[in-house]
Amino acid sequence: MESEDEIGVMMVEDSNDDDEFYGGGVGGDDDDDSDLDDVIMDYDGFMDHDSDDSDDFSSSHNQLHHHHHHHRSQNYTILNEDEIRQLQEESIAKVSMVLSISRGAAGILLRHYNWSVSKVNDEWFADEQKVRKAVGLLENDIPLPNAKELTCGICFETYPRDRMCAAGCGHPFCFTCWQGYISTSINDGPGCLMLRCPDPSCVAAVGQDMVNKIALHDDKVKHNRYLLRSFVEDNRKMKWCPAPGCDFAVDFIVGGGSYDVTCRCSHSFCWNCVEEAHRPVDCGTVAKWILKNSAESENMNWILANSKPCPKCKRPIEKNQGCMHITCTPPCKFEFCWLCLGAWSEHGERTGGFYACNRYEAAKQEGVYDEAEKRKEMAKNSLERYTHYYERWATNQSSRQRALENLHQMQTVHLEKLSDKQCQPESQLKFIIEAWQQIVECRRVLKWTYAYGYYLPGEELAKKQFFEYLQGEAESGLERLHQCAEKEFQGFLNSEGPSKDFNEFRTKLAGLTSVTKNYFENLVRALENGLSDVYSHAASSGAGSFKNLGSSCGKGRGKKGNTSKSSSSRNLEDSDH
Amino acid sequence: MASPSQGSLLLQKQLKDLCKHPVDGFSAGLLDESNLFEWSVTIIGPPDTLYEGGFFNAIMSFPSNYPNSPPTVKFTSDIWHPNVYPDGKVCISILHPPGDDPNGYELASERWSPVHTVESIVLSIISMLSSPNDESPANVEAAKEWREQRDEFKKKVGRCVRRSQEML
Repeated sequence: MESEDEIGVMMVEDSNDDDEFYGGGVGGDDDDDSDLDDVIMDYDGFMDHDSDDSDDFSSSHNQLHHHHHHHRSQNYTILNEDEIRQLQEESIAKVSMVLSISRGAAGILLRHYNWSVSKVNDEWFADEQKVRKAVGLLENDIPLPNAKELTCGICFETYPRDRMCAAGCGHPFCFTCWQGYISTSINDGPGCLMLRCPDPSCVAAVGQDMVNKIALHDDKVKHNRYLLRSFVEDNRKMKWCPAPGCDFAVDFIVGGGSYDVTCRCSHSFCWNCVEEAHRPVDCGTVAKWILKNSAESENMNWILANSKPCPKCKRPIEKNQGCMHITCTPPCKFEFCWLCLGAWSEHGERTGGFYACNRYEAAKQEGVYDEAEKRKEMAKNSLERYTHYYERWATNQSSRQRALENLHQMQTVHLEKLSDKQCQPESQLKFIIEAWQQIVECRRVLKWTYAYGYYLPGEELAKKQFFEYLQGEAESGLERLHQCAEKEFQGFLNSEGPSKDFNEFRTKLAGLTSVTKNYFENLVRALENGLSDVYSHAASSGAGSFKNLGSSCGKGRGKKGNTSKSSSSRNLEDSDH
Repeated sequence: MASPSQGSLLLQKQLKDLCKHPVDGFSAGLLDESNLFEWSVTIIGPPDTLYEGGFFNAIMSFPSNYPNSPPTVKFTSDIWHPNVYPDGKVCISILHPPGDDPNGYELASERWSPVHTVESIVLSIISMLSSPNDESPANVEAAKEWREQRDEFKKKVGRCVRRSQEML
């Protein structure tokens, strides 16, 4: 553990190396460019064809590595109900002004063209007659027949002219019948936004202005609600945040940039597939993985029942904290790894690092003691392989969940307490919050890399090893960070008075946070590049960067590991070219 | 919501009109004098069709929010027709509530509208008898026969017509 600070310092050099590493490699860049072109073309096509086939924009596009041109600037806006309404009002006002039509008519037009102002303008100025016919807007409003009394077309009662009402077509119906007609339509669902004159031979549209004039209060509220929902749900650049009970919507600028969106409710999701955020893994893989989990979840339930027996004393243990280092309760006190159930003392290079346990192959060889028992349960090798990845995916998922709770508790309770105990202003304790935010984010990324790993073809050995190497580095960094933020923090929280070691803790935790951030940025970038660097790198500069990565980060694990790492990578490169 | 009395007033009015000015091709009245929402209708098989000479009885049931929602019509006489369910229920588009079809407005003229009356509904049914729509059949067997074995179809309809005459 004494090498932690050293690592923090080393990471600065490390990140420099990485920039060169990822920026270089001429061969790889060529490939990247062609990918990029494809994606840009697709985006253009997507924006031009404002058709209703939004579902088509799914898996095939996502297979491309569109994250190459990821922009750091935020390409979306989170809106609350008032802001959505305001935006809707602005669109209606714009169309109403440009086309010189009533606001009611503008609303009808916009809804018909999925709330795209430019689409309305294009269509209208291309063929106004056609558009009017399609949406039911008559060129000239026809007034009610000029008579003192008129007969309602529904109830056949006769009323004075001023108690009658009509859409743009002039077909007279009495207020009561209109009210019933509109109310029935509103209570039937969002179809009320496409309401027409009750006369079956008439196409005249009934807009919001008319609804507001005639409908009862409750119906008006409902109609308004449908109009708002339509503005989000029928709009190609808007979606509701999928988090349960969340009322925010996302206004997304399509074209370039990442699909990851973080709502004001703090839920992160993918704008494209609306699953939780899964960068750097593409939507197609995520969909496959989720389907697979649902198909096999019945099997997984019994395998992954909430507890595991202690490898030594066999008492059942339920994991209730974040990191993988488990210490059984006294008198056993056996320290083991939650994932592979191996002794903690044996965790090191073979398992991907002191705090990592990422390798399926390693786990298989490692698990000599419990293997016999486990094998009985896991009959098939394929299930075993899946179980391996699923378990790590699920463990990181729940670990993230708890980290979120910890973060919340930190913000609401612990920080204040710590501030008292250590005589530190809360503003000086931000590094703890930042550490937990990093943990939450990293658990999310790490989780999805296990879905990625499951679908990584076994034949691509070089990629697989490169991937597992990066994943292992990231994972061990994260475990160190998580352990420090969770366990070491407790000591300072529960101490009697200010500790002189607190500043050391600050340096260490902040260092680990930035180290881990770097590891994960490497991992994310490499996966978004489809791990292409493993080849481009080999073509351009031999084993240099790979070795650099290994040697600069791997000091804590001893020299032996480094040489084996770089030599193995060199072997692979030799065989590939 | 339309007031519940609106429907009964409207039905009352239609009943009076139909008594005063009967329409060719059908007769209509209440099933039970105390209930304006259940009508008994007899439809005369339209001339120059397979159903010519038949007298087909049907019951029209109006919902409490008529005219905003359509009635259901069910034949009590046996009738073999692609657009009549085996249990006698009539399936024509104007009897479908407008909300059923999410993009229905293009066919607004074919769906339910509060302007429809007993008369316009029965006239639609008569038109359905003379020209069955086998595109979306309620009785698949009958639709298949109508398309592929017209003779067999004619025979079955003829049997229905005769039975309806005997029931008079």
